[in-house]
Amino acid sequence: MTVTICIGSSCHLKGSREIIQKLQELVCQNHLEEKVDLNGSFCTGNCVKGVCVTVDGELFSLKPEDTETFFEEKVLGRLG
Amino acid sequence: MQVTVDVAYKSLNKFTEELCGDKVELLKTADSDIMILADGMGSGVKANILATLTSKILGNMFLNGATLEECVETIVQTLPVCQVRQVAYATFSILQVFHNGDAYLVEFDNPGCIFVRDGRLMEIPSNIRELEGKKINEYRFRVQRGDCFLLMSDGTIHAGVGMILNFGWDWKEIAEYAVKQYRLTVSASRMAAMMVKACDDLYLGRPGDDTTVACMRIIDRKVVNLLTGPPKKAEDDGQMVASFMEGEAKRIVCGGTSANIVSRVLGRKLKPTLDYVDPEIPPIAYIDGLELVTEGVLTLNRAVNLMKRYANDENINEKFFLELDKKNGGSMVAKMLIEDCTDLNLFVGKAINVAHQNPDLPFDLGIRQHLVEQLKVTAEKMGKTVTITYY
Repeated sequence: MTVTICIGSSCHLKGSREIIQKLQELVCQNHLEEKVDLNGSFCTGNCVKGVCVTVDGELFSLKPEDTETFFEEKVLGRLG
Repeated sequence: MQVTVDVAYKSLNKFTEELCGDKVELLKTADSDIMILADGMGSGVKANILATLTSKILGNMFLNGATLEECVETIVQTLPVCQVRQVAYATFSILQVFHNGDAYLVEFDNPGCIFVRDGRLMEIPSNIRELEGKKINEYRFRVQRGDCFLLMSDGTIHAGVGMILNFGWDWKEIAEYAVKQYRLTVSASRMAAMMVKACDDLYLGRPGDDTTVACMRIIDRKVVNLLTGPPKKAEDDGQMVASFMEGEAKRIVCGGTSANIVSRVLGRKLKPTLDYVDPEIPPIAYIDGLELVTEGVLTLNRAVNLMKRYANDENINEKFFLELDKKNGGSMVAKMLIEDCTDLNLFVGKAINVAHQNPDLPFDLGIRQHLVEQLKVTAEKMGKTVTITYY
């Protein structure tokens, strides 16, 4: 599974760094390094909303405080 | 050979003095670059006046093509006479390097010029002429790419006298240290800063005399092309990237959308990293064949601030250079533009980023053009040639 987080100016100011740190921790805690590939991307052109995160091509819009819920639902949930 | 030079200097004031008694003048004529260092007798206001008069007279007269004899005569007749010592006195060194590679060194009573070529110390032959009762050494030679010259006031060779060294730092040891720094540094400013820092350390932070090092390095033209911002009209993407890729240059892209455009037009993959070296600056990215790819305005803002500090000479010491060596995008852009660039070409897109027009953001991102203007002014202040093309 590929998870891509936007690190462009706008997403940076909305907290992409916290989200990346949190996701790195969560991936590590759940021993998913082999299954989840975390990537950065520059502006994907959807910055009007929250921080842009895509999971296997599907776009989500996140706030730092939603990261854990997002991880449980969209990452753990999908990995089943 | 068309010669380009990188010049910079750094001074320490004698402990508790507000004014420096050493003065450096950096000048450009139509066909040469001139570096003059004058050291006024004594310290404080008097020394400052002597040094300033001497360097200004030499500079202005040289600029207007006067001979050395005329210059020295004018100085001797102009300088105010010291009431204590009954003499008018400032020592000086002049180095003039012509664009065709000819060089002319004049030295009067300062510690000898340190001349490093191919990592070795070069001897400057003695060729003394007496003018107005002053013994002046002259040397005419040719420079080569990579040559490095240091002019110094005697505060350098006195560093540490009676404190941690018996007789100060002698010329030979300074020259050896300079040869070492020559290998470790690229720019004139870093070289000057390192030499002066060593003197300050020997003085234990309390210089016993005004101390100045002026450095000139003979370098190649170094062109940097910097692209930032998407063009106003998307159909200009190709043209902008083509111009950006033209000629021999190091290339920087500042901006996420811009990086995507360059990546698409060139058909080369954009590879962002997730390394937050500095929490305030988004990580850098890579595109094959480009020197550096960074986020846009936050990074540029950091880089411009560092460059302004440098151009205004606000605390340019080894700490500043450590900041410059950091691996965040802002420092990396600033370092390349300060230390590795003589000509800067800016390719600036004027498109307005809709996402940046968001009042919820804690930082005004709509300031790209303003930043670019400041970048231009600052780089020009450092003596670099700057062009801007808007798209």
